[in-house]
Amino acid sequence: MSRTRNDDIAVIGWSVSPMERHTAKSETQMLLEVVSGAVDDAGITRADVDFTCAGSCDYVAGVPFSFVQNTDAIGAWPPKSDSHVEMDGAWALYESWVRLLLGDMDIALAMGSGRSSTSDPAILYPMEMDPFYLAPLGADHANLSAMQARTLIDSGMLTERQMAEIAVRTRRDAKSNPLAQVSGDFDVEELLAADYVNAPLRLHDMPPITDGACAVVIARADKARELCENPVWITGFAHYTELHNPGMRDLRSSTAATLAAKAAGVDEAPIEVAELQASFTHEEPLLVEAMGLGPEVSVNPSGGPLAANPIMATGLVRVVEAARQIRVHGRHRTLAHSSSGPCLQQNLVCIMEGD
Amino acid sequence: MRTSHERGIAEVTITVESTIKFPYKRSLGPVIGPFMTALAEQRFIAIRSGSRVICPPLEWDPETAAELPRDFVDVGPAGTVCTWSWVSRPTEQHPLDRPFAFALIKLDGADTALTHVVDVESIDQMSTGMRVAPRWRAERLGHITDVEAFVPGEEAITVNGGVPGEPVTMMSYDASITYKIPVSDNTIKAHEATAQGRLVGLKCPVCERIYARDRGFCPIDTVELTDDHEVELPQRGVVTSYTIITPVQYPGQTETEPFSRVMVLIDEIDVVMMYQPLVDVPVEDVRIGMRVAVVWASEAEKADAGRPGNLVGWMPTGEPDNTDPSLANRIM
Repeated sequence: MSRTRNDDIAVIGWSVSPMERHTAKSETQMLLEVVSGAVDDAGITRADVDFTCAGSCDYVAGVPFSFVQNTDAIGAWPPKSDSHVEMDGAWALYESWVRLLLGDMDIALAMGSGRSSTSDPAILYPMEMDPFYLAPLGADHANLSAMQARTLIDSGMLTERQMAEIAVRTRRDAKSNPLAQVSGDFDVEELLAADYVNAPLRLHDMPPITDGACAVVIARADKARELCENPVWITGFAHYTELHNPGMRDLRSSTAATLAAKAAGVDEAPIEVAELQASFTHEEPLLVEAMGLGPEVSVNPSGGPLAANPIMATGLVRVVEAARQIRVHGRHRTLAHSSSGPCLQQNLVCIMEGD
Repeated sequence: MRTSHERGIAEVTITVESTIKFPYKRSLGPVIGPFMTALAEQRFIAIRSGSRVICPPLEWDPETAAELPRDFVDVGPAGTVCTWSWVSRPTEQHPLDRPFAFALIKLDGADTALTHVVDVESIDQMSTGMRVAPRWRAERLGHITDVEAFVPGEEAITVNGGVPGEPVTMMSYDASITYKIPVSDNTIKAHEATAQGRLVGLKCPVCERIYARDRGFCPIDTVELTDDHEVELPQRGVVTSYTIITPVQYPGQTETEPFSRVMVLIDEIDVVMMYQPLVDVPVEDVRIGMRVAVVWASEAEKADAGRPGNLVGWMPTGEPDNTDPSLANRIM
C-alpha cells in the first residue's frame, strides 16, 4: 500500500528497558535509557524530536509531580513542547499522534514508565478507584478483576482450566521474548493445583510485578520516509471509556473495547497478530471476543502482560511488540491494545500496517 | 524513614522506606451526600434513571450523562451476590482483619450492584446468588464502611434503630502507602560528603554545568554523571532571590511561623543552590545580595537521630552586600 498523504504517521523507532522485579534505577534513569535507545533506533537525536509525551503515575512513583523530574530524560534544553498523561504510555502515544496530525510538527516521542515494585499493589491500586464507594473499602484491581473472572465462569463462558491453559500458552510463547520476566514450560494440572490468590484467580492468572519503561518515536509520512526504510504505519487509533464502577456494567464483555476496535478499523482488513493488555488470563478471551478477533489471529506472541507488566508502560510495550511483528517478522497488519481502570474500563486500540 | 538492605535480582540495593499518608477530605454533593446520610441512618437509597434504579446512586445518567432528577428510592437492605472474590490475606485498608469476600451485591429493588464485603468464616460459605444483608456498625459517620460487612441471610443486623441525624456533607478517606525506594549511588555519595562537612557537585563533561551531587545525569546533554565528575564547591555565596513562606497547617507541616527560603549563588563557580534555609535571620532582614556561608550541624545536632541531614543552612558572613542588580536574575 502506498502512503502519499503526509498526514499518515508511522512508528520509526522504539526501545524497551529490561523487565525486572526490582530495578535499582530511578524512573528517570530508565526513561533516559529508553529515550536514548528509541532515538538511536530512529536514526535521530533528541534535538530532532518536536514533541514529547509521557505516561506515568505519581501514586506508583511515590513522588508528587514525578513527571517533572522525568522530563530530565528528554533533554529539554532548549525547551521542548511536552505533555504528560496520568495513563499508560499508550495514551501518551495517542496524544503524540493527535499532536502530529495538526501538521506543524514532524517527529514525536511517547514514553511510559513505572516502578511498581516499590509498594504493595493491594495497597496502591485502591487509589485508582472511586474515592467514595470503592477506595475506602480497599477495593483493588486484583479483587475487582477476580469478580469479573467469576462472572465469566458463572456465565459458562470460561473455566479455570481454560484460564490456566492461557497462562501455559503465554508463558511458553514468552520463552522467545528476551524481555519476558515470566516464561517457561508449565503443566496445566500443576498450575490448577496451586492455591488461589484472590479466588477464582491463582498466581498464574495474574501479571507479575515489573519495573520497566518504554519509548516510541513516530513521524509524519515525509519525515518517516526520509528517516526509515521500513516505517510501521499507524492506520487506526482510538480509545473509549465506559462507567468506572464495575457494579454498574455488564462484566461479561467490554463495550469500550468493542467501540475502540471498530473505530480503529479492526474489521477493514485481516489482523494477523494482536498484542492485548490482558493483564489477567480471563481478560484475553473477553477482549478477543469484544474486538471480534477470529481464531486465525495470533494473540500475545510476546507473552503479553502475563510475562511482564511494567505498569504505565505495559500498553506502550504492546504497541512495540505489534510493530515488531511488522518490522522484524514481516507481518502486514497487527493490532495493539491497552487498558486502564478496573475491569477493563478504558480501552485503546492501535492498528498498524507495513508498506 | 529507615534504610534496609534488600537483595534484588542482581545486586544488593540500599532502599529507603517511607510512608506517605493521604488524608483526603471530600465534599459529597447532592447525591452521594444523601446516600451517605442514609447509611448513617442504617438505610440504603438509590436514584431513578429512567426505568432503572441505580445503587449506589450517581449524579448523572450513565448512558446519556444527563443530570438525574433527585428522585431517590429506598432499596435493600437485603440483596443478592452477583459475583465475588476471596481475600485470604486482608490488608490494613480492608474493613475486616480476617479472610473475607469482596462481592457485587444487587440490593433488593436496585438494578445495579453495590461493591462491598461479605463476612463469612470460609470460602465454602460463599456462592454466587446467595442472599446477604448488612451488619451495621455501631458508630456510623456517613461513610461506605458504616456497613461493617454483609452477612448471609435476609435480616439486617441493626444497632439501636436508625435515628436521623444531620445531613452528611463531607467524608474523610485516610489512605497511606509505604514505599521502599532504592537509593542511588550518587545520593549515598552526596550524604557522605555533607556528613564530612563538604559541599560537592557533579560537573557535566559536555556543557560543564555543575549539578547537585545526588543527580544522576545532566538533563541537558543526557550524560550520566558519576564519581569521576565530582567537584568541590566553595562554602560561601550570595543570596540572589528568596521567598517568605507563611505555613499552612496541612497534615505533616511542623513549621508554625513565617520562614524564608533563599537561592544561593556559590562563589567562584556558576551554580545556584535552591530553596536553602537561613539560620538566625529574621524574615524582615532577608534581602538579595546578602553574603552567606554554610552552617554545618554541631556534634550535638549530629547525634540527634531525628535530624534530616548535616547541612543546617546558611548564615550571613557580615561582609558588605553584593549590589550587582543582575544578581536577581540568577535563580537557577
